[in-house]
Amino acid sequence: MDIQETIKQTVTSSPVVLFMKGSAQFPQCGFSARAVQIVKACGVDDFMTVDVLQNPEIRQGIKDFSNWPTIPQLYVKGEFIGGSDIMYEMFQSGELQELLKDIAQA
Amino acid sequence: MATTEQVKQYIAAGLDCTHLEVEGDGHHFYAVVVSEAFAGKRLIDRHRLVKEVIKEQLQSNEIHALSIVKAQTPEEWAKQQG
Repeated sequence: MDIQETIKQTVTSSPVVLFMKGSAQFPQCGFSARAVQIVKACGVDDFMTVDVLQNPEIRQGIKDFSNWPTIPQLYVKGEFIGGSDIMYEMFQSGELQELLKDIAQA
Repeated sequence: MATTEQVKQYIAAGLDCTHLEVEGDGHHFYAVVVSEAFAGKRLIDRHRLVKEVIKEQLQSNEIHALSIVKAQTPEEWAKQQG
């Protein structure tokens, strides 16, 4: 299967998907660590992460998919939301909590 | 390497801002951008807009990285200041 097709399936396979460097337990980059913290702070503990360091094709492919040059990248219900700056700005304004409230565990 | 004043000028040259703050150490910069051009746009598109304006400087590494701390419309900015 084509890498773009694989990515398309991946982003819709779970309500919250974070493409990052490393894992949620062991992030390999400060921005990825911050992204994980923000998702958790919204009450979502169980979400899918994809470690781009494990696959160079995905690492490049996800940037082409979103037309966004950096990692991490957050997807909610298949839609690209943004990187860690955008996540933080949306978290501060309460917009991200609103977006994730259906998904957040009670 | 750029000064915060230069980064401000680059952004202001491409985007009509009602408020613009830039901080940084010459490599990593942080910007608060308030512009009418953001109205009706999702945050991701607002960030894309600012990055597009300084694309050349980012590509040449004159600006190594720019974090956009806030990208708001004048209305959103005013509400938040109030």
